[in-house]
Amino acid sequence: MERTTIKVAGESGMGLLSSGHIISRALKHLGFYMTVDREYPSLIKGGSSNVQIEFGIKQVRSLSTKVDIVVALDRHGLLEHISSIKRNGILIHGYERHNFIPELKKLAKKHGVRVFYLPARQIAKSLGGTSVMVNMVLLGFLWRVLGLDAKNLKQEVSRQFKSKPALLNIDLKCIDAGYKASDLNKISQLKLKKNKKVSKTILLDGTDSISLGAIHAGLRNYYMYPMSPASGILTYIAKTSHETGIMVKQAEDEITAVQMTIGSMHAGSRSMLATSGGGYDLMTESISLAGMTETPLVIIIGQRPGPATGLATWTCQSDLNLAIHSSHGDFPRAVIACSDQKSSFELIQHAFNIAETYQIPVIVLTEKEILEKYSTVEPFKQNTIPIKRGIVTKKSDLEKLTPKDRFAITKSGISKRWIPGTSKAYFYANGDEHNIDGKITEDAKSVSDMMEKRMRKETTLKNNLPDPIIHGVKKNADISFVGWGSSKTVMLDVIDELKEKSVKINYLHYDYVWPIKEKPAIKFFQNNKNIYLIENNFTGQFGKHIEAITGKKFKSKMLKYNGRSFHFDEVIAYIKKRIKSKR
Amino acid sequence: MTQQNDTKTVLKNLSEKKDTYIKYETDEVITWCHGCGNYNIQNALKRALTLEDFETQNILYCFDIGCNGNGSDKIGGYTFHGLHGRVISVASGASIANPHIKVIASGGDGGTMSEGINHLIHAVRNDYPVLFILHNNHNYGLTTGQASATTPKGFAMNGSPDGVLPDPMNPSEFVLNLNPSFVARSFSGDIKHMTKVLRRALNHKGFAFVEMLQVCPTYNKATPQSWYWDRIKYTSDLKNYKANDIEKAKKLTKDLEKNIYLGVLYEDPKKENFIEKLQNRKNLKTAPVDEVKHYSISKFFKEFE
Ligand SMILES: Cc1ncc(C[n+]2csc(CCOP(=O)(O)OP(=O)(O)O)c2C)c(N)n1
Repeated sequence: MERTTIKVAGESGMGLLSSGHIISRALKHLGFYMTVDREYPSLIKGGSSNVQIEFGIKQVRSLSTKVDIVVALDRHGLLEHISSIKRNGILIHGYERHNFIPELKKLAKKHGVRVFYLPARQIAKSLGGTSVMVNMVLLGFLWRVLGLDAKNLKQEVSRQFKSKPALLNIDLKCIDAGYKASDLNKISQLKLKKNKKVSKTILLDGTDSISLGAIHAGLRNYYMYPMSPASGILTYIAKTSHETGIMVKQAEDEITAVQMTIGSMHAGSRSMLATSGGGYDLMTESISLAGMTETPLVIIIGQRPGPATGLATWTCQSDLNLAIHSSHGDFPRAVIACSDQKSSFELIQHAFNIAETYQIPVIVLTEKEILEKYSTVEPFKQNTIPIKRGIVTKKSDLEKLTPKDRFAITKSGISKRWIPGTSKAYFYANGDEHNIDGKITEDAKSVSDMMEKRMRKETTLKNNLPDPIIHGVKKNADISFVGWGSSKTVMLDVIDELKEKSVKINYLHYDYVWPIKEKPAIKFFQNNKNIYLIENNFTGQFGKHIEAITGKKFKSKMLKYNGRSFHFDEVIAYIKKRIKSKR
Repeated sequence: MTQQNDTKTVLKNLSEKKDTYIKYETDEVITWCHGCGNYNIQNALKRALTLEDFETQNILYCFDIGCNGNGSDKIGGYTFHGLHGRVISVASGASIANPHIKVIASGGDGGTMSEGINHLIHAVRNDYPVLFILHNNHNYGLTTGQASATTPKGFAMNGSPDGVLPDPMNPSEFVLNLNPSFVARSFSGDIKHMTKVLRRALNHKGFAFVEMLQVCPTYNKATPQSWYWDRIKYTSDLKNYKANDIEKAKKLTKDLEKNIYLGVLYEDPKKENFIEKLQNRKNLKTAPVDEVKHYSISKFFKEFE
């Protein structure tokens, strides 16, 4: 078995989050790689939720639709997820209403699922625990089914609940009771393949990764108006702010947040903000202002499905065109898309460098899936991306400046920028069209010159951006995909899987989605003949850009727009069908 | 000191500091209407800055969109000319990131009391270190004389031919109800008074709200210069007005019909401003602008191991 998948299902508030953390950390310390994600409704308590842990002895970056084991904490969890269990898979539950058992038996038979019941609530109560501790009893039992030593599990339980020592003792007893439940001896334990060596990894999500990247890059002023799925960035940066000293301000609305960010950037700090599509909509006039005043700006959009409030706690890639086309007037900008933890950590650092070097707004796209999914990854390397601010700082240079340097017409489009207060040569940053010293002008030639200067920055930027990357075979693939964002994680897993089955597959991935590099796409279409789009939105927004620049059509578009991410087994099935039909 | 002596001292000080004063002047052609209150307000600001020994290098003026914003390239110092209604936020972001510079923001009654009134409310609450000057000319000047939230009831304006229906807002009174740390009111016809008020506002460490009642000879026929002179009173003429009693200030500020009081209405010089209140920066001597460099995140990895 290469990947093993566990799903813990129940109501929000039944300890799903902590179950996910405990299981994944314990598995990590045994040397497994994994990816974990949550599905939950936009509610605080109640409603059906689940956490899925997919693990193995090699990198696991995506999740599957079909699972090996479901641990159901309530009746809803039982009914909703039994159909997602693979044939011969396992359902563990503690549901006591025996009149329900015949129905369950029937369902189990239909799906070929083995059902194990444990009176978890009674066990927890008899040990002095609460009904929330049902999850501990069932976890203990799960560990037995997995054929793993309870020691690791108990270590992680102790870590999770170290702030509640009184309850911890009962939690541990519940684990033991579940693990040792005597009438369960007949259970055949899974035989998991294990890694001999436990390599050093960290287990974290995209929220923590992008926050750490920003903190590392010298973020000093953080602004936000809360909005799922980006709010976690505020949580992380605020919670670490006593160490970092970062000035954190929850603003009164999104317009304030972006305006304060612009103000802080203009005044020389490194500042950013995060929001989701709806909040970004409110900011668009300000993005245009940053474009005109050539103020660096970094904005993170955590995408969730729209339109309107849409699906607040689900995922998508449908704000690409928003990021590219938002705001009135023409001005250069960069749109960068994270795909996983490492790219979140690194791209946010590049985002600051690009924003400051080119003096443009940079929109960093991420997704609910990327922000909340956590995986084992290599520890992040620090100090590998130098801080490039593009500001004049040397005393002798500052003394030589004149106001006319600020928006001077240059070949690259980039003019000198300096922090207010550092030079006698003050300048006017003007949202009205202006001359090279920032003074308002409506003169036809000056207006054209200034527009052309600003737009030249886009060409300069495009020439300097790294190319998109081809994963898998370099050319002549049996099947190819093009995509951006989280699609990379599922495609990498799929490529790993199909490589072993000697399918020639490749995937062209764009981190820098705007300005878009044409040549690599054109070449990719020349070198491959069976190319598909993978994109998590209805219209295939990125696909249309690719078709426009290559003049070619995708064979077909693998699109999804139901709030769910692309699943590993789903993509494999899609490919198998396409390759078979071709051969 | 009598008013006259006071004036003499100010002028003497100004002439001694004329080299500084000159730096605030630019050779740009000014585009305000003849008789516009903006001339005097800007001149009073230049005087106040000179008298308080500010240097053009260390000032960032933030301008809203409106007639006064068209002065954004006509004064010495760094400026930022942003969006309509948003000036308070952009100025606040600048001031907390870089307290080495003095941040002065200005906006009209349209931008401030309508489009961006939420920013005003929360800037007062947060007490950002910004001097904010409200140019209250009772109308939307730059868009040719529509009604604003401060236009007196019943007056016919561009777009409101039957007269303005709702009651006007009273900006200073409004702000006094938000638990502010500094509120003052002055009049564009009285440059000496404006200078005095601005000098005190420049030295306030939190959010200093200064309302300038401003004539608009082009679009505001309802409250011309003479209308104001008939009604203006000074807090300095009141016996024992101390500006430290917010309830008294509210009462005094209410009247916009008979006695319109000018002066520093309320001031709490000791109140901690936004930066001083931040728990996580209590022991820091630097400002965010000085701190941009690689920050080691190694200590945060433990949580993820
Ligand atoms: C978002 C936006 N809405 C509307 C306008 C048009 N506009 C420009 S100035 C102005 C009102 C100006 O009135 P006020 O703020 O009182 O300033 P004044 O011109 O009277 O000094 C408006 C509505 C704009 N520039 N931006």
